[in-house]
Amino acid sequence: MPTSSRKTSSTPAIEVKNLTVRFGTATILEDISFHVAQGSLVALLGPNGSGKTTLMRVLLGLQPHTKGEVTLFGDTTKQHYGRIGYVPQKYTPDRTVPMTVGEFLLAAKPRHTPPHRLTDALEEVGLNPATIQHTQVSNLSGGQLQRILIARALLNNPEILFMDEPSSGIDIAGEQTLYELLTTLNKEHNVTIMIISHEVNMIARHVDQVLCLNTSLVCAGPPKKALNPDTLGELYGSDYVDAHGHNHEHL
Amino acid sequence: MRTDTTTNTSSMLEILTFPFMQRALIAGVIVGVLLAALGVFVVMRKMAFFGDGIAHASLAGIALGILVGIAPLPVAIAYAIAVALIIYALERSTALSSDTIIGILFTASMALGVVIMSVVPGFQPELISFLFGNILTITAGDIITIASFATAILFWLLVWRRELIYTTLDIDNATIAGVPTQLHTVLLYISLAISVVLGVKLLGIILVSALLIIPAATSRLLSGSFNSFFWTSIILSVLFVVLGLLLSFILDAPSGATIILVATALFFFVAVISLVTKRN
Repeated sequence: MPTSSRKTSSTPAIEVKNLTVRFGTATILEDISFHVAQGSLVALLGPNGSGKTTLMRVLLGLQPHTKGEVTLFGDTTKQHYGRIGYVPQKYTPDRTVPMTVGEFLLAAKPRHTPPHRLTDALEEVGLNPATIQHTQVSNLSGGQLQRILIARALLNNPEILFMDEPSSGIDIAGEQTLYELLTTLNKEHNVTIMIISHEVNMIARHVDQVLCLNTSLVCAGPPKKALNPDTLGELYGSDYVDAHGHNHEHL
Repeated sequence: MRTDTTTNTSSMLEILTFPFMQRALIAGVIVGVLLAALGVFVVMRKMAFFGDGIAHASLAGIALGILVGIAPLPVAIAYAIAVALIIYALERSTALSSDTIIGILFTASMALGVVIMSVVPGFQPELISFLFGNILTITAGDIITIASFATAILFWLLVWRRELIYTTLDIDNATIAGVPTQLHTVLLYISLAISVVLGVKLLGIILVSALLIIPAATSRLLSGSFNSFFWTSIILSVLFVVLGLLLSFILDAPSGATIILVATALFFFVAVISLVTKRN
């Protein structure tokens, strides 16, 4: 699926060295270093305001960083533009602009991809292209819009996919479908995926690697090893562990 | 009855035999198409004030042209492009909102225009025609200038329409997709500046931005897709210009103001029909 320009299979898909981001006097990210292997499905965990979205935006080249180094497949992020998929945290369609789902996706479809890629992407996210294509974007439900945004991120057959809370607005069944889709993309098409989520249990079941963030990197590694009462306590506080700790006994 | 209809038809055809009317219609249709096509993106980006600001700011360029004794239109175009680029640069480099930046530049440019005009001795009929629009002042040279710029702008707009839509809808994702979003945004600002100034001779500084907004706003009420929104806006704009020009000739009324009044009347007509249809 991905049109790869990867140097070697051992080159990390994402490599971050001593990354620091400051806005004025506020430190958003402090001296973060990690790498993500090609073909990994990695989750970014952390409480609100912990810097997850900022980190993702720095990785995407949408936000400057104060110090450190960021590479994708050994190159700068910009060298991989056109081969990255991104589902933003929030997207509010403008109700004053009439636009069908088909037109919305067509604007994002790279010119070199065949026309059927649009319907393929809609089918991949479990939507019926024949009916949904003619629906106005402003009339979609939250869950439908989220699926459309995921379909849009898949249009260019990305080699790496970044998703910022993609399951928000999706019901439990839809969430399961989403994680199954991510697993398929990751395992069958070898797409590297980084996902921001608060669904600790869902993450534990589906991802290979967890990065816990709270301004600095609190934990990193396979979920079973990285997610323990100590790290969860450091991320979300001891109250969270007391209330939810029993749910993670299987980790 | 038949005699009346024949008389009306022949007088309408007679209007079209006047060279100034032919020039006004050609220039009006081209400017109408241009402003309506760009107006769709102006409405999408909620930058209606940009058109108004640029039009008013062009007064300084026009005054400068009159002062030094060269054709005011090219000077006004150059000045408007400079203002558009300053707006873009300040939007990116400061925490100020677009409205604030445009408000400062537009009033400063108008003030500059007034100061320059105070230096020019005597009554300036050319200035009045730029303020309120005058179809009698449109020359064959103006048509060539308008057609040349319009061809270049419409070519860019139609070829890169998808990229421009993507940039407008979601600049982050468009950037990641490799779309040169900054380039297209700058080109949109420059195209808007040029198109607004091109429309100034026909509609006047005070009224030109209406043709940027009203066709797109009317089309929005009638459209269920972007494609329909875009093309209906252009068709409506041409209709407003042609009807307005003919009516202004028949009523001996100012052309720019008549075009805008026709457009506004049709907008309200469509709004009422749309409201009634929705209720039913």
